[in-house]
Amino acid sequence: WILAWMGLEINTMAIIPLMAQQHHPRATEATTKYFLTQATAAAMILFASTMNAWTMGDWNINQISHPLATTTVTLALALKIGLAPMHFWLPEVLQGLNLTTGLVLSTWQKLAPFALILQISQNTNPALLTTLGVTSALVGGWGGLNQTQLRKLLAYSSIAHLGWMIIILQFMPALTLLNLTIYITMTSTMFLSLKIMASTKINSLALAWPKTPTLTTLIMLSLLSLGGLPPLTGFMPKWLILQELAKQDLPITATIMAMSALLSLFFYLR
Amino acid sequence: MLKILIPTLMLIPTTWLTPKSWVWTTTTAQSLAIALLSLTWLKWTSETGWSTSGPYMATDPLSTPLLVLTCWLLPLMILASQNHISPEPINRQRSYITLLILLQTFLIMAFGATEIIMFYIMFEATLIPTLIIITRWGNQTERLNAGTYFLFYTLAGSLPLLVALLMTQKDMGTLSMLIIQHTKPTNLLSWGDKIWWVGCLLAFLVKMPLYGVHLWLPKAHVEAPIAGSMVLAAVLLKLGGYGMMRITIMLDPLTKELAYPFIILALWGIIMTGSICLRQTDLKSLIAYSSVSHMGLVAGGILIQTPWGFTGAIILMIAHGLVSSALFCLANTNYERTHSRTLLLTRGLQMILPLMATWWFIANLANLALPPLPNLMGELAIITSLFSWSPWTIVSTGLGTLITAGYSLYMFLMTQRGPTPLHTISLHPSHTREHLLMAMHLIPVLLLVLKPELMWGVCH
Repeated sequence: WILAWMGLEINTMAIIPLMAQQHHPRATEATTKYFLTQATAAAMILFASTMNAWTMGDWNINQISHPLATTTVTLALALKIGLAPMHFWLPEVLQGLNLTTGLVLSTWQKLAPFALILQISQNTNPALLTTLGVTSALVGGWGGLNQTQLRKLLAYSSIAHLGWMIIILQFMPALTLLNLTIYITMTSTMFLSLKIMASTKINSLALAWPKTPTLTTLIMLSLLSLGGLPPLTGFMPKWLILQELAKQDLPITATIMAMSALLSLFFYLR
Repeated sequence: MLKILIPTLMLIPTTWLTPKSWVWTTTTAQSLAIALLSLTWLKWTSETGWSTSGPYMATDPLSTPLLVLTCWLLPLMILASQNHISPEPINRQRSYITLLILLQTFLIMAFGATEIIMFYIMFEATLIPTLIIITRWGNQTERLNAGTYFLFYTLAGSLPLLVALLMTQKDMGTLSMLIIQHTKPTNLLSWGDKIWWVGCLLAFLVKMPLYGVHLWLPKAHVEAPIAGSMVLAAVLLKLGGYGMMRITIMLDPLTKELAYPFIILALWGIIMTGSICLRQTDLKSLIAYSSVSHMGLVAGGILIQTPWGFTGAIILMIAHGLVSSALFCLANTNYERTHSRTLLLTRGLQMILPLMATWWFIANLANLALPPLPNLMGELAIITSLFSWSPWTIVSTGLGTLITAGYSLYMFLMTQRGPTPLHTISLHPSHTREHLLMAMHLIPVLLLVLKPELMWGVCH
């Protein structure tokens, strides 16, 4: 665990200067917020792993078995990636960055905590994971409804997608990875296309049609895919996840997740 | 099945590669050839009822009439759109046709699907091209709102369907229609099972649309361009009916009690939407509400699950598809000339466009279910089966028939008879294309009088 913690800290340290490149006050503020949250999370991870070592005598990552320790480390990792109810930092931080850095934050930064989450998934409390997942999907949907700034919109979409990924973790981790991969692809597409069009608000997107019709069509398709509409690829993870949930006799959870996907779809559609 | 799917997909390169002045001609001709090919599906020789099967797609007497209807409509849609798209740049025209073709492909795959999940995916997939057609090429500013209503009503109904289908797959091990029709009836007792039942049917009831959840239909129809309205009225509503017919096979015996509220909603909807038609000022809105009314009758016929009910439902679906599409085309001819849909502004057309008045006459007669047209066959079958289910339904169905006759005649008289207002004297005469369009809509209706067995193959 010590090495994992060191890796996470180095990751945070490395991205801080990248985020603070723009000498805009909002960027600095975003950087500070990010640093604080990530440092808290890393400290909690260290604390949880020490607690586990004290009670169980084990430093190994997948052997973390003390219930308090597992809960703490799950919550800490959730804080790192921005799952509800620890998501409050994500929209503001993403808003303060320019689009490229935002891309890195949304995609690459999620990989390391997810690797850890996957490894500890055996022993975590299932109720906790389900709560995190469902809350994230709902918060991601509702929070994004009133947004006009594209970066905040993508932040809420990220929260919702992470919720979907977490909820299937306890049943089939392979699906979590699939969802993560497809999410990274789709979000990268979105960020890169927005960067080409240099637009950061919904209003400026509306002017894009005369400039680059092909790109606008692509953006529309990838937005619909993020929303999870068949027959686009975005539907596939949602479908498979719902299938797993149904197989495990959890139809209510499945329905709640599906309905919250509708909320996200609404703000994609705008 | 591939014989039809691959030419339809190849239509997309056709639209993008033909030179500018030949695009419309070639696409219309090729889609007409495909439609004629699809008529070969009408020959059912197989023992089990399913013919022309591939690994995931097959046709049977239930889906074939709807498939032929879909294929037949594509050339008609392209014909109808020719005029209002022509001021746009050629690439936009090409993308419009491509959207129509994509929609067609998804529809063919939906009607031909044997796995219910594939049907579901295609069902959802048809929403996207329709949404783009409505919001991009519609006429008023309210089209964005209409598109949102359309998408969200349908999706909110169909996501529970997805969960219900996945649960069915877990229980039964398969979702192939070929196999499900032979499984033993499921024992459905608890509240959870009742919710599963609602989940299965809700998507199709919203799509039909059932009276309580029909709000998306008038908005979508009024705002859509002509091809969008045609395909919406004729085929997409029938997707709902078709899905209901397929799903109810596995929903017995719970349906006997649980269907009561929906049947009552459907019957009440016939009367209510019919009465709204009598007070409409907007022509397209009138036709849209008439669609809701007819589909209410279809929904009632399907929900009681008798052989005659199903037969009547299919016949009415096909006949209504053709006639409703014809009415929308007629309304569009008015719209293209006056750029208004208000009934008051397009009166007394018989003096100026007499041949078009003939088509108006025939279409309205068909709408009000004149014998011996198939509309009447369908309505009679449904009304009699509803009557044998419960004698009290004759009150609403009979009243509904009367009101249908009322507003159909109202539509005819308002647009054709009466004094001609002075501002309409200088309208363009009817194009041959428009006459061809109307003929191709209404001649199949007349032909079906002679051989209705093509439509009701399921239960006989």
